[in-house]
Parts: sequence; C-alpha cells; structure tokens
Amino acid sequence: MDEAQLINGIQQGDHKSFQILVETYQRMVVNTCLGIVHNKADAEDLAQDVFLEIFRTAENFRGEAKLSTWLYRIATNRSLNLIRNNKRKRFFQSIEETFTGGRNRTSEISENRNDQPDRNITDQQRSDLLHRAIDRLPEKQRIAFTLNKYEELPYQQIAEIMEISLASVESLIHRAKKNLQEQLLDCYKKKCV
Amino acid sequence: MVSYIKSNKMKHSSIHKDLIFYIDNELSVERRIAVEKHLEECADCRSFLSFLQEEIQIIEKEKKPEVSPFFFTRLSARLEEKQFYQTQSQWVRLAQPAFFSLVLLAGIYGGLKLGSNASSPKVNQQTTSSIQMLNDFAAEPIESFLLDEL
Repeated sequence: MDEAQLINGIQQGDHKSFQILVETYQRMVVNTCLGIVHNKADAEDLAQDVFLEIFRTAENFRGEAKLSTWLYRIATNRSLNLIRNNKRKRFFQSIEETFTGGRNRTSEISENRNDQPDRNITDQQRSDLLHRAIDRLPEKQRIAFTLNKYEELPYQQIAEIMEISLASVESLIHRAKKNLQEQLLDCYKKKCV
Repeated sequence: MVSYIKSNKMKHSSIHKDLIFYIDNELSVERRIAVEKHLEECADCRSFLSFLQEEIQIIEKEKKPEVSPFFFTRLSARLEEKQFYQTQSQWVRLAQPAFFSLVLLAGIYGGLKLGSNASSPKVNQQTTSSIQMLNDFAAEPIESFLLDEL
C-alpha cells in the first residue's frame, strides 16, 4: 500500500489503513520526539498525539509534501509545545517553591532519573549533560540538529520539514554544533562528569 | 617564551572549536591534517576529543528506541475514546441549547400564567372577605352577641 492509498483509506475512516500507517512510522515519530524531549514515556505520548492528529486532519492532506515530512513537522511542533508547557510549569513551580520551601522538587528529579534504570550512573550523567546542552540550543537549531543527528535526515529534507532554505539549514546545524561544543568544552573544563 | 605560550593557547582554542567538525568529518583536508598533527602532540586536546566523542556517542545509543508493543493498542483506545466523546459532544452541542430554550420558554410561560392568575383572585378574595365581614357585622348585631356571651 503506497502513501496515497494509505491517506485515502484514513480519509475514509479505514482503521486498517491507519494501523498500517502507525506501524510503518511509529518508530520514526517516537525517535524524533525523543530527540527533542529526551524522555521515552513523553516521546510515546507525543507520538500518539501526532497519529491522532493525522487521523483527525487526514482530509486536509493534499499530497504536496511527503507523508513523512508531514509527520516530522507535526512531531517537532508538538515536542516544542510540550517543552514550552514544561517551562511554563517549572516557572510556576519555582514560584510555588519560594513559598513551600522546595519540598516537591526532589521527588520530580528522582522520577526522571528512574526513566532508564538499567543505565549506569556515568552513562546517565553523560546523557544528562548532552541533553542539557541540546536543550539550551535555540529552538530552530535544536530541531535541525535533532533531525540531522537522531533521524539522520539529509539537509534537503530538513529544509522541507522546517520550510526554510537549504542554506539556512546548513547554517543552523553549523551553529548548533558550535554552540554544543562550547557548552561541552565549558563542562569539560569544569569537570562536570 | 610568552609568545610561544600565547600561540599554543590560541592553537588549543582553535583546535577545540574544530573538533566537533573533525568528528563529523566536515573539515577541509588541510585543516584535518593540521588538527591531526596537533592531536598527536597535545594530550589535553586528545582528552577533550575523546570526551566529545563519548558525548556524541550517546546519541547513537539513544537512537531508534524500542517502541512499546502496546503502542497501537493504546492509540486505538484513545482514538475510540475521542470518537465517543466527539459523538457525545455533538449530541450535547445540539441538545443543550434546545433544552435550555425549552426551560426558558416554560419559565416565561409559567411566569405569565402565574402572574395573570395571581392578580385577579387576590383582589376578589380580599373584597369578598371584607364584604363577608361587613355582612356578618350587619347580620349579627352587637347586642345579640353580648347577650350570647352572658
């Protein structure tokens, strides 16, 4: 079944076509979300939201772009929205903590740490360091870098997903790597890990 | 000596800036050779390179995660739930205004009905009772009443 048939099936409310679509692209969508949010449970929830949106808005898909481009676009937008919401929540939490004396924060941190219990502490520390460095990148640099590194997408496809020129993608990824290196160098000098 | 240290420091920082591109094989041939030459001599830069490589390696480890085997089952459940609420909300969207309009109309009608019924009988009742009192007074003179009391 090709992309057009799949979309056609979903537009007519065919669950079998939807299942095929999900099974074909679930890994790709989860991986993209994971590259941005760095938490597997969140990434799976986001991926589900992406597929629900696809099912709901399939009739708007005109086939001008590839199906994967559409999926990547929704996945990155939803992941960024989650990060923005989390930032907002953290802001209000920090206000709350000033009044409660920060009693709730420790439990949240330990929950996040238990996400991948089989990884040793050095790996976890390294991973946390990298995630923090990626999270500090500006949004566009983060998206371009994640699509390139986690999904191994060529610059041309990243340009289509982000709806920007090829030169802009090159520049974004170059700056992302430079920023990342600066942060990691800073940490190396301070011996964070 | 100072200039040598300065130039060496400059070289370190310039090499550090290029290492991430060196790992990704994105340097020109000349630059790549210069970086490799420096790395052979400089233990600190080699150490930073291996630190950087280990960090970048994390992405490789995290890439392509195993998706939960219940992913589609959970998604189907959410889809059904959403569709149920959508059909329900369509019903609610239609029924709610109709219901409230009916209640409002019934209220207005009831109010009007009560209003029209309540005003006239009250006046009538009052007049009748006062008439009755007057009539009683007329029918039963005070003398006979006092006589009865005795």
